[in-house]
Amino acid sequence: MDVPERDAGLSNQQLSNTKLIGRLLRMSWQYRAVCLQVLGYQMVLLVLGVSGLTLSGLTVDVLRKTLQPGAPAVRWPWHLSPPASWSPFVILCVLGGAVLAMAAVRAVLNYSYAIAAGRLIHVQIVPNLRAAIFDKMQRLSFRFFDAHASGTIITRVTRDVQLLRSFVDGVLIQGAIMIVSLGLYFVYMLLKHPGLTAASLSLTPVLWGLTTWYSRWAQPAYARNAQLFDEMILTMAEGADGAQVVKVFGREKEEHQKFVDKNQAVRDQQRRIFLRSSLYSPAVHLISQSSVAVLLLYGGWLVIHGQLSLGDLIVFAGLLQQFGEQVRTMATVVNTLQQSLSGARRVFEVLDTPVEIESPVNATRPQRIQGNVRFEDVHFGFRQGAQALRGIDLDVQPGQCLAILGETGAGKSTLISLIPRFYDPSRGRISIDGVDLRRLDLEMLRRNIGVVFQQSLLFSISVADNIAFGHPEASREQIIEAAKIARAHEFITALPKGYDTILEESATNLSGGQRQRIAIARAIMLKPAILLLDDPTTAVDPDTEHEVWQAIESATSGRTTFVVANRLSTLKRADFIVVLDEGRIVEQGTHAELMRQSGLYRRTADLQAVDSVSQRLLSGGAFSGGA
Amino acid sequence: MKLAATVAVALHDDDELPRRLDYSVIGRLLAYTHRYAPLRNKLLVLVLARAIQTPLLTWLTAKVISGSIAHGDYSKVCLGVAGFLVLELFTEAVFVFRMHLALRLGEAVVHDLRNELHRHMMEMPLSFFQQTKVGRLISRMTSDVDNLRIGVQDVAFVSMIQFGTMVISALLMAYYDWMLFAVVLAMVPVLWWLIEYFRGKMILAYKRVQASFSRVTATLAESVRGIRVIQGFVRQDVNGGLFGGLIHDHSRNNMEAVKLSAVFQPLLEFNGQLFLAVLLVVGGYRALHGTISLETLIQFLFLSNLFFGPVPVLGRQYNNALTAMAGAERVFELLDMQPEWSDDPAAKDLPEIKGRVQFRHLNFEYVPGEPVLHDINFTAEPGQVTALVGHTGSGKSSIIKLVAKLYLPTSGEVLIDGHRVETISGLSLHRQIGTVPQDNFLFSGTVRENILLGRTAATDAEVAQALDALDVRDLIEELPQGLDTQVGEKGVNLSLGQRQIVCFARAMLANPKILILDEATSSVDPVTEERLQSALMKLLEGRTSFVIAHRLSTIRHAHAILVMERGRIAERGTHEELCLHGGVYADLYRQFIGGSVPGAAA
Repeated sequence: MDVPERDAGLSNQQLSNTKLIGRLLRMSWQYRAVCLQVLGYQMVLLVLGVSGLTLSGLTVDVLRKTLQPGAPAVRWPWHLSPPASWSPFVILCVLGGAVLAMAAVRAVLNYSYAIAAGRLIHVQIVPNLRAAIFDKMQRLSFRFFDAHASGTIITRVTRDVQLLRSFVDGVLIQGAIMIVSLGLYFVYMLLKHPGLTAASLSLTPVLWGLTTWYSRWAQPAYARNAQLFDEMILTMAEGADGAQVVKVFGREKEEHQKFVDKNQAVRDQQRRIFLRSSLYSPAVHLISQSSVAVLLLYGGWLVIHGQLSLGDLIVFAGLLQQFGEQVRTMATVVNTLQQSLSGARRVFEVLDTPVEIESPVNATRPQRIQGNVRFEDVHFGFRQGAQALRGIDLDVQPGQCLAILGETGAGKSTLISLIPRFYDPSRGRISIDGVDLRRLDLEMLRRNIGVVFQQSLLFSISVADNIAFGHPEASREQIIEAAKIARAHEFITALPKGYDTILEESATNLSGGQRQRIAIARAIMLKPAILLLDDPTTAVDPDTEHEVWQAIESATSGRTTFVVANRLSTLKRADFIVVLDEGRIVEQGTHAELMRQSGLYRRTADLQAVDSVSQRLLSGGAFSGGA
Repeated sequence: MKLAATVAVALHDDDELPRRLDYSVIGRLLAYTHRYAPLRNKLLVLVLARAIQTPLLTWLTAKVISGSIAHGDYSKVCLGVAGFLVLELFTEAVFVFRMHLALRLGEAVVHDLRNELHRHMMEMPLSFFQQTKVGRLISRMTSDVDNLRIGVQDVAFVSMIQFGTMVISALLMAYYDWMLFAVVLAMVPVLWWLIEYFRGKMILAYKRVQASFSRVTATLAESVRGIRVIQGFVRQDVNGGLFGGLIHDHSRNNMEAVKLSAVFQPLLEFNGQLFLAVLLVVGGYRALHGTISLETLIQFLFLSNLFFGPVPVLGRQYNNALTAMAGAERVFELLDMQPEWSDDPAAKDLPEIKGRVQFRHLNFEYVPGEPVLHDINFTAEPGQVTALVGHTGSGKSSIIKLVAKLYLPTSGEVLIDGHRVETISGLSLHRQIGTVPQDNFLFSGTVRENILLGRTAATDAEVAQALDALDVRDLIEELPQGLDTQVGEKGVNLSLGQRQIVCFARAMLANPKILILDEATSSVDPVTEERLQSALMKLLEGRTSFVIAHRLSTIRHAHAILVMERGRIAERGTHEELCLHGGVYADLYRQFIGGSVPGAAA
């Protein structure tokens, strides 16, 4: 099916940034208690950090006062001056003890902070979101999966959820910490000495400008880099996948040259980035070190003239470093905000996609389904304007087998996927035993329909679990019974661990015919009144195809069956046949009736007919027994 | 030419880290920098400069604060700051070049290695690609090479800088006060042990996190791909529960890792503070007693930070070194893998051929001791179509792979126009062979590019000619952008019939004398089928063709049918002969047409 992959997908209406942030804030509100707890820890840690620095400064001042008689008196904060009876060494020990005590408190707080933040992210936000998306995803209609490549759906649950949660910890919490600590440092420095504060922070705007500029430049540059890298890897992977083609056409040299070029493109792009990115860190260093120089010049002058203590100068130097670090996180926070918004947009897109197909409120649950399927003037389109089915009328009696023939894109698969309500018709109605599908309980409807797809996906669980996929509580006897009907019992028992053999990913340890027979057993397990077979031998080797058809024949008896097929031998077995062309029924009737017309059916049949010579040779030949 | 003694073993995907450094691997890795010796040597000089500069700057800062400022000498302060600025500017200039050169060296080595890996891959025979998962090759090119890059551009240089910084600050401290330095030194083993202890535990914890995450993504991927089955069989609740369990498991593992780091980081910090307190008390005591000056104490406050800073960095680098080595080992393992066989150095280029193919007493096995073909004898005359018929695993595809010299016979001979394939170069043979693979493999790119794969130098007119010869030009022009339509990942998905047409055109353009064709098993709609059939007949015309046939008309068209059964030719002849014979072929044929003969008439 040619559905162009567009990320915007179904909900064309893009959320604006403001709305998105509003929604994220509302979501974060659920976690407010933990967020506040986390912030609280950080506040205390911040105060302790500043106090620790102050203590070191004080120690220096105490020592200086003792050793250099001319030095200014120690300025104790909050008039906490020690009793005059204490010797300088006792004071030192007390200060050292205070540093240690605070460090112990800090350690405990840091631990609690990390645990609380971890719990918030890994136990609450991420698992909740993942479970919600997965649950939603499973219930979305097939339209969603038609419109999105499976890779992008998977990243929504994995990466995009992580991006979204970074709004809470990377933007809200980090942002709050940043603002508060910048404020605290600033006020503290201001209280110590406004002039020195202004002078030493004078280069901060430059630092901020530089980090912002760099992160704006770096993102697209690295994105380009990643793109070139992906192209190179793709070239390599294709060369390996298509090794036989490459070798038989003798294209190894050309193929290698292609890779060398792509590799060179990666290297060139890298070198373009290298120069700028190796300028960045040194530039940031230079700016912060220049601030230190300013601090030393002006602060040194102040100390010499007795307007600032030496300890305070050391504290200033420490604070200046922390201040610079916080300024640099600002760029990170802004980046995180952008990324979290793009992640959130993609997560919310899934959560907001309406579940198109749901059970009605007062669903009908008939005792038994007989299997009379009626289509009345059914129209259907995947997109506005493009009609896949137009005015389909059908009436299939219980136990009848209907075969559907048509070109690729004629609407065959679409027609049968309307019966289990994988899609709903846009006009007209489909009924089972006279009840409109949309009035039936959805779960009950699907449990009464067995589906065998073109390429049946089996799961990497045991064979038995695959057969019991729709009926997990089935007993081993029931599973074996279903396998026998599907002619699968024999080859299953020949597998290394029989029914308990775990299938490999995509069941590559089985042949196509074996996979389809397990899929048939899986469908029969439901004991469905209706069986849908969507061209079940497309992906099967012709020499094992007949095994699948034998399985199908025993599976269909007594069931209303819809089978999409191109093979004459299948078509002939049907009670009646419809030929679809561009979404319309163009011919219908039994094999014999259709052979009398000179339509599409007749042409197909002629193409596959056994020529009379072979016919005669085979029936007249010296062989014993029938087929 | 002989089969190489070393049989390609499957690449191991063990992601266990090696326990210690292996110097032979390191040496081999270093050899890749020899091509860039000037770059590397400049880098070494810069690294030495860096190792000295950082302690010098710190020392100068402390000197200005504790000396000039504390003693009230402002002119010295100005002088000190001026010196500081000059040194700083120089330091950062060195830093720029240090980073730039290291990045360039790393990228250069990685670039060369990737080319070498790819060249090596291209030299491997087909069997290699059938035994090796593409994902495995991709991770050699991506994560392994990237880990190795860190080894080349960071580990050695960063470690040298950090170690140098440590040594110089240690020397400075020792110069100022032996006693106090002894206190500093006493902290090192504590710190080292702390880091080592937690590092080991954290690596394990993150491995568990990764493993549980892989389970989450694997289940997720299966659920997305299998959504139609899940909804069709109403399995949403069961699956939701299973997925919930996996998320919970992943979340628990994450918390284990968080707890470890929640203990480790504060401990590390506490350790630093403990040291500070000890330094204040001991240093203060010594300063009060006049053993050391206040200046010395302040120097220690600054220098000790510089001394401890590298400890965790060095631990990280050691880990990087192990990771890089593991990556290098896996990359080298692939590079060292010998092709099972390669062209005999004496092999000659095949002259222009007529296309006569003979198999004489040919036996073949993929795995020694498990023969898949027994005593195969046949001759295909130039221009003849040979159809291969038989069950899966009967040896059909082995035969066409032997014709194309994708494998060599175990015993017996394959002759092309009388030349034994062993005596001719693979490339010259391949230039005269065309293929249409069963999966109709197309490369991403335009339709035109895919057709040109048959003959890269062909002009547009020649491409058009090939399409006309097959009578499929209208089918290609029907595509959204005709020949310029993108296929594959970024483009539209061509239908099976369209893909096959492109593959036919590719083979037609190559205009080979020998054609091998593995018919796609999937049936397409009747109208397309008709077009494909007529195109196929035109493609086969005048070429020695080997066809694994699934279509009746192809089989009917063949000059000879080889019916394969368990690695032997069970029957051979034309369609009529084999039908009359009433053996394996007649049975197969009857099954194939769905048991409709005898009985229902058409």
